[in-house]
Amino acid sequence: MAVKFDTKYGITWCPGCPNFTILDSIKLALTNLTKKGYKKESFAMTTGIGCHGKIFDYLDISGIYGLHGRALPTATGMKLANPKLNVIVFEGDGDAYSEGLGHFVSIGKINPNITLFVHDNQSFSLTTGQATPTSQEGYKSKAEPLGKLGPPLNPLALALASNVTFVARTNARDLKHTSKIMEKAIKHKGFSFVEIIQDCIVFNLETNLKDKRMYKLPDKKRTKEQAMKIAMQYDYNLGKGKIPLGIIYEEKRETLEESYSKIQK
Amino acid sequence: MRLNIVIGGAAGQGINKISGIVSNVFSKQGYYTFNYRDYPSVIRGDHNFNVLSISDKEISSHESKIDGIVAMDSLTITKHKASLRKNNFIINPDKFEGFGRNLNVALAGALIKILGFEKKDLIDEIKKELNNKLSLEAAEKGYESQEPKYSFKKINNKLHLMNGGQGIAQGAINSKMDIYFAYPMTPSTSVLHILASKQEKEGHITYQPENEIAVANAALGASFAGSKVMIGSSGGGYDLMAEALSLQGMSEIPLVVYLASRPGPGTGIPTYTSQGDLNTALRAGHGEFPRVVVAPGTPNQAIEKTNEAFYLANKFNTLSIVLSDKHLAESEFSFKSKPKKPLKIKVKRAIPGKKIVKANSYEHDFFGNTTEDPRIANLKTELRIKKYEEIKKEVKKFEMIKIYGKKNSKNLIIGWGSTAGAIKDAIEGLDVKFLQVLYMKPLSNEIRKHMENANKIILIENNVTGQLGRLLREKTGIKIDKKILKYDGRPFYSDELNSQLKKWL
Repeated sequence: MAVKFDTKYGITWCPGCPNFTILDSIKLALTNLTKKGYKKESFAMTTGIGCHGKIFDYLDISGIYGLHGRALPTATGMKLANPKLNVIVFEGDGDAYSEGLGHFVSIGKINPNITLFVHDNQSFSLTTGQATPTSQEGYKSKAEPLGKLGPPLNPLALALASNVTFVARTNARDLKHTSKIMEKAIKHKGFSFVEIIQDCIVFNLETNLKDKRMYKLPDKKRTKEQAMKIAMQYDYNLGKGKIPLGIIYEEKRETLEESYSKIQK
Repeated sequence: MRLNIVIGGAAGQGINKISGIVSNVFSKQGYYTFNYRDYPSVIRGDHNFNVLSISDKEISSHESKIDGIVAMDSLTITKHKASLRKNNFIINPDKFEGFGRNLNVALAGALIKILGFEKKDLIDEIKKELNNKLSLEAAEKGYESQEPKYSFKKINNKLHLMNGGQGIAQGAINSKMDIYFAYPMTPSTSVLHILASKQEKEGHITYQPENEIAVANAALGASFAGSKVMIGSSGGGYDLMAEALSLQGMSEIPLVVYLASRPGPGTGIPTYTSQGDLNTALRAGHGEFPRVVVAPGTPNQAIEKTNEAFYLANKFNTLSIVLSDKHLAESEFSFKSKPKKPLKIKVKRAIPGKKIVKANSYEHDFFGNTTEDPRIANLKTELRIKKYEEIKKEVKKFEMIKIYGKKNSKNLIIGWGSTAGAIKDAIEGLDVKFLQVLYMKPLSNEIRKHMENANKIILIENNVTGQLGRLLREKTGIKIDKKILKYDGRPFYSDELNSQLKKWL
């Protein structure tokens, strides 16, 4: 019988929110991994604070529902303490790219064998729709009625520049593809980053419904230059550019835990 | 017999080497030493000095009046001449030309001769520490250049040399700590360096993440996963950890924090000392949750109190803060006594890997999942606070205060932390009792009794507002009117403190 990851807690995301599909995708990915020998108890997660973070209550694995922006260092500590844990991190775009940006750009260098999923809906939705670093230029919110200044951050380009060893993007609405990439990201030895593009169905509506511009990349080994070119195809602004999905870049490098392997208890 | 020697020069000239060599020689001959380090936030140049105090009796402070100057540059003589006692000596660098980088070793040799030790004692030490031809030559030439002024004879004492930072690190090692997380900030950094150098031998990990916020959150992650962890910082670095301290309160993941104070607010005076952070040690982090704050005053106490901090954190899934400062962390003490046998720290909490365990920064139910239910919120809040009552009972088995001087005296001095050294030496021969507070939280009930029994009470602190005094007033209702406070970044001199206390008596 397949291992289940459901909990009894009532889900409080807005009806129709793509977070439901992300939850199903991770459950499917984890179920598939348990079929391949991963133990349910070996998984541990950390989450930030925001709509995405509620996934903590809906997923039956160990973990820490941490602080806003701090899920990456929390997860790194877990992995250092027990390298046998399969550590996965859920963050929002506000978490990963605003409050926790310093952690995001530092983690590629140290390369712990953990996985980050960013639920990127281009707004702070649990605090009612303020702009995040990936919000489109000119986005008007209650906090910035004059419109958000400047072009958005490209998290994929930033991850590549920060030496992240696995960089991928998926569409939250595509359960099968997202789940497949999640599985590959968890299996990757080193730090893996999956940016999940997600509509917010209540705030920042004008950035929604980009599915038509999305296309899937073929599985292929790429140089960092080639990966960077692909990452730059979509700039997170309105109506511009094709949106590539899939694994953009992958490489193998010594992990943080391996660098401590000389130290024996 | 007690001597105070200033050893000074520009940053980078190696004055610590001189005081290190001389301390080691003295310690081997059975003499007590205390080495105070005074240096600005400069890597090369400016003026650094150590005050090396030497005595045949146990000491834990330095004095304002000095007996000798060992100068690596002329500025040292200009700066410290006024503090010299009548019968003094000056070792002037002008007479030591051509030694290059070994000038410090030559001066150490000269000082050893002036103090009256055998050449063999010096050579043995140089061989052990530096063992190269040029250094040995320099030491010998320095030695030959002087005539003995004192005649220290070997006494039968087996002494240990240690600074407070080494004590904190040893306490963590004795507790079988798994991981130390820290980001460099003076004066906490020495513990990071010590623990990093001992990683492979002792089997712990030290890890320096991108900032102090990462330090504190990574430590909570590691502790959740079953490790015994400590984090360390000072000043603003500690402030950055405050949110994670509050996360500790809610998630109840054990955490030990080493806080080494320096003068604030802001960047303050980074390489100097202060007891200005007691309030923030007691209160940092939003919301209401229990914690333990211990404040050792000697390296031995640092070993023991750090071990107790680990014990309490892991027994009660709580926050333990070890509060120290630059003066304790970087001053070197010599002592006979050995610390007590360390307490065994057991990880009894459920950890992930074998079963599902959840910790949460939100209010949560007994499975660790989020709740906003008022009944659960009420219950969980009360349970967290109730834990403090258990902690209060448990700490009674530890030394929470220490009494020095005349036990029956009606004149009571109250102090804490690194001032204990200077106070202990300053009360020599006076009709006073000195109460050192070791547990700042919980506070010992004994303190009130000592205060009620006293006719006169004086508070001594290295800060401007008398933070312990305010805490004691909050807990006992007794206000201490007489205070000796120092807040120029420098620790107390025991001789100055002695004259101030005599006036008070």
